[in-house]
Amino acid sequence: MEWIADWLFVIPLAPLVAAVANFLLGRWWIRDRAHWIAVPAVGVSFLASVPAFLTVARQHEPLSQHLYTWIPAGDFRVPVVLSVDQLTAVMLLVVTGVSFLVHLYSVGYMHGDPGYHRFFAYLPLFVFSMVMLVLASNFLVLFVFWEAVGLCSYLLIGFWFRRRSAADAAKKAFIVNRIGDFGFGIGVLLIFVTLGTLDYAEVFERVGTLGAGTVTAIALLLFTGAIGKSAQVPLFVWLPDAMEGPTPVSALIHAATMVTAGIFMVARTHPIFVASPTAMLVVAIVGAVTAFIAATIAVTQYDIKRVVAYSTVSQLGYMAIALGAGAWIAAIFHLFTHAFFKALLFLGSGSVMHGLHDELDMRRMGGLKRSMPLTYWTFLIGAAANAGILPLAGFWSKDEIIVGAWVAGYPVVALIALAAAFFTSLYMFRAVFMTFHGEERFDRAHLHPHDPPWTMSVPLVVLAVGAAVAGFAGVPPEQGWFHRLLEPVFEGSAHHEVSLATTLAFGAVSTVIALAGLYLAAAAYVLGTVSPAAVAERLGPLYRLAYNKWYFDDVYQRLIVEPARGFATFLWRQIDVGVIDAAVNGAARLVVWTSQLWRRAQTGLVANYVLAIALGTVIIVGAYLVAGSNLFR
Amino acid sequence: MAIEVLIFYLLAGVAIAAAAGVVLARNPVHSAVSLVLSFVNVAAIYVMLRAEFLAVAQIIVYTGAIIVLVLFVLMLVQQQDLPEFHGGRPLRRAVGFLLGLALLAEVAAAILTRSLRGAPGSWPPEAVAAVGGNIQAIGRELYSAYMLPIQATALLLLAATVGALFLARPELIEERLAVARRLFTISLAHPRGVDPLRPVAELPAPHDSELKPAGGDRALVMARSAEEFTEQPAWGEIRR
Amino acid sequence: MTELTTAHFLFLSAALFIIGMVGVLTRRNVLIIFMCVELMLNAVNVSFIGFAWEQNALTGQIFALFVIAVAAAEAVIGLGIVMALSRRLDTVDIDEVRQLRE
Repeated sequence: MEWIADWLFVIPLAPLVAAVANFLLGRWWIRDRAHWIAVPAVGVSFLASVPAFLTVARQHEPLSQHLYTWIPAGDFRVPVVLSVDQLTAVMLLVVTGVSFLVHLYSVGYMHGDPGYHRFFAYLPLFVFSMVMLVLASNFLVLFVFWEAVGLCSYLLIGFWFRRRSAADAAKKAFIVNRIGDFGFGIGVLLIFVTLGTLDYAEVFERVGTLGAGTVTAIALLLFTGAIGKSAQVPLFVWLPDAMEGPTPVSALIHAATMVTAGIFMVARTHPIFVASPTAMLVVAIVGAVTAFIAATIAVTQYDIKRVVAYSTVSQLGYMAIALGAGAWIAAIFHLFTHAFFKALLFLGSGSVMHGLHDELDMRRMGGLKRSMPLTYWTFLIGAAANAGILPLAGFWSKDEIIVGAWVAGYPVVALIALAAAFFTSLYMFRAVFMTFHGEERFDRAHLHPHDPPWTMSVPLVVLAVGAAVAGFAGVPPEQGWFHRLLEPVFEGSAHHEVSLATTLAFGAVSTVIALAGLYLAAAAYVLGTVSPAAVAERLGPLYRLAYNKWYFDDVYQRLIVEPARGFATFLWRQIDVGVIDAAVNGAARLVVWTSQLWRRAQTGLVANYVLAIALGTVIIVGAYLVAGSNLFR
Repeated sequence: MAIEVLIFYLLAGVAIAAAAGVVLARNPVHSAVSLVLSFVNVAAIYVMLRAEFLAVAQIIVYTGAIIVLVLFVLMLVQQQDLPEFHGGRPLRRAVGFLLGLALLAEVAAAILTRSLRGAPGSWPPEAVAAVGGNIQAIGRELYSAYMLPIQATALLLLAATVGALFLARPELIEERLAVARRLFTISLAHPRGVDPLRPVAELPAPHDSELKPAGGDRALVMARSAEEFTEQPAWGEIRR
Repeated sequence: MTELTTAHFLFLSAALFIIGMVGVLTRRNVLIIFMCVELMLNAVNVSFIGFAWEQNALTGQIFALFVIAVAAAEAVIGLGIVMALSRRLDTVDIDEVRQLRE
């Protein structure tokens, strides 16, 4: 199937064509038929990714297709080359596959929205950007599509831009990402300044020639980008707010496109990180902190989408731990399994919202198990997979990360990750129990929850199957099919041998922890033996800390937003109005004043004008005579 | 003194005298005739300067076309509209003459101290004769090196034609009315009272007796309507 | 001064030009001003042709030709304006035309 190397361009082109078509024609012509273009386009993209994946799965060499040379500037050339190695192939499958299901789901979910065509223009554009980001073969193209992904997320989060909260959330996502992207951009520039090239292969080849400090700086700057894009502490605040977008967008951002970009980028540039132990440690610590903080926050939230959103942040923290621990394959494996169950959880909560007329608060749900059986079972599988219950996807990947952190010499990180795993299980089953079990707390007179139409349920079922079985791609741990597949990509990096005993021990411990979380959730919300309110009361300040999201938003508001706004107001009032405008207005007033003076000369009498012309002629000719002839010398 | 110098002085003298006549003549028709004389003399000087084609062009274009146009316009513009030369602007006249003298002095100084000489051109009299004469030489030069300017000139003349058509288009009633309103105070009542049955054309032109001073030097005109007033053919004369 | 020199023609040109200029400056009749402008254009032609004669070049003559063409265009427009003036404002006295005032 080597022929696919010449057809790689189809993968990004199909969604781009759909996006452009819906942009240009959507409003006047396509309108409600927008999905007829977008869904097949992403499907084509997925179908084209499959042979590419199968090809690189069999052969060692990556595929590549040279499209054109973007910047030919002397020795510095930036070609746009689509290259597919095993890592890229996995990402391609995840991105296009999940995106396809999300597209399909959106047909039902977004039905009747006035911006239907717009939605199906942004969504393929998002897929296009992400696919190009994954396919990039140098840092500049990566950076461009890194930004494009940020732009698309802005457009989609603010899709219902008439709602102020959505517009604010979109701006917040964009600005917070800018902070990370700024670091990322400087990192790319630093690579160019020190190595003179931006091509992946050349950079990785020469990374050993750099000093330790430089490598650490580059690695940390690149990781800054990942912190923003993959929602790590301290820049994770945008992701929960991104729930303001339509639910399929949340699924897409959380599972397939946006947040995985950071993890993918770090894995892609792993030779740089491997060269800097300091950076690796920082990555692991940031990941552990993120995983723990987000998990504790998720336990206290009542908005079902926010719970899932914080769960994403937490899972991204796990991936960062794996990256920091050098367990690259585990990170990508977790990304892979996470894509299934997180997309499933979002689409499932979307179904719940669909059935309850956009109700988000879990305190006004409950008992949906009977009326929405399909949604319940699929959501339960997703939640269990997320919580790390034994045979499901999340267990295998998460366990591998914890083991990886332990053997890489970060025992504290591993313990934090285990603690976070307890909270993960707790908040996941809390969400399940509050939503689907217990008494029906919604308005039963007006709401008649029901399972969604087939375009929405098919993706749920497909993703549920994926969430259930995807984990077996990595069984047995460390030697599974998935690991053998990705080994060529990461063969240069150090590999920790893990004994069977360690693996089994951690597997047992994390299973116990997950079950403990499950039991606590059940005790609190089904059995009623533990009162959540009493627990919250007992914990007091700790509960409030988690409930208020560790005060990140408030601290940012107090320390950054308000001073910045004050400074901006100062610039506006004092500098802009006081100095610049005053100067401009002063100039205008001067002109007016001089014009008033001169308008007396404007008599309207042609004779006077002629006189002035003649006088001017005489003077100018006289001046020429004085200056040019030898008459006066 | 060579004979051609004498001829030059004669022609130049007549040309200058005729030009002075243009400026000094009280009657514009005399000015025009004087201008013709001046142009013809200048054309003769062109012949002396080996510019036969231009001499002919000068006579055809200026005396043949432009002056005739001027005379036509003179005919169309009513004679009493023409202002007197001695209309009393002594200061302006003095300034004009002084400026003229100053410029003359400057140019004379420039001519007398002239030291620059251009590079010799490529068309000595023999070369002109070789191609068959002045017209042929100009034609060769004009339609080879000056192709673009000649096209631009064609466009310019076209634009001028269109412009002239626009300027000479028939006046609209609104424009005529605007003029009338500027000159007169129009009272919208016929002196004999309103009589809507009588056609407008039968209404007599307003007489002097119908004009009444209405503040300042503006005349008052009585009419049934402003449009009707402007349709009266005699309104141009009423002002005097 | 037994030979004709360029200076002769330049003086003739200057004289005609300045007479025209004085006319433009002093007269009030638009038509006469217009004729004086033609006189000035013609004076410039004399200079052009005089220089062409001096340099044995045709450039001056060709420029004089263009001046004549432009003068023709100017005549058409100028006389059109005179007609319009006479009809709209009922005058050809430039001292009565103050439409250029702001």
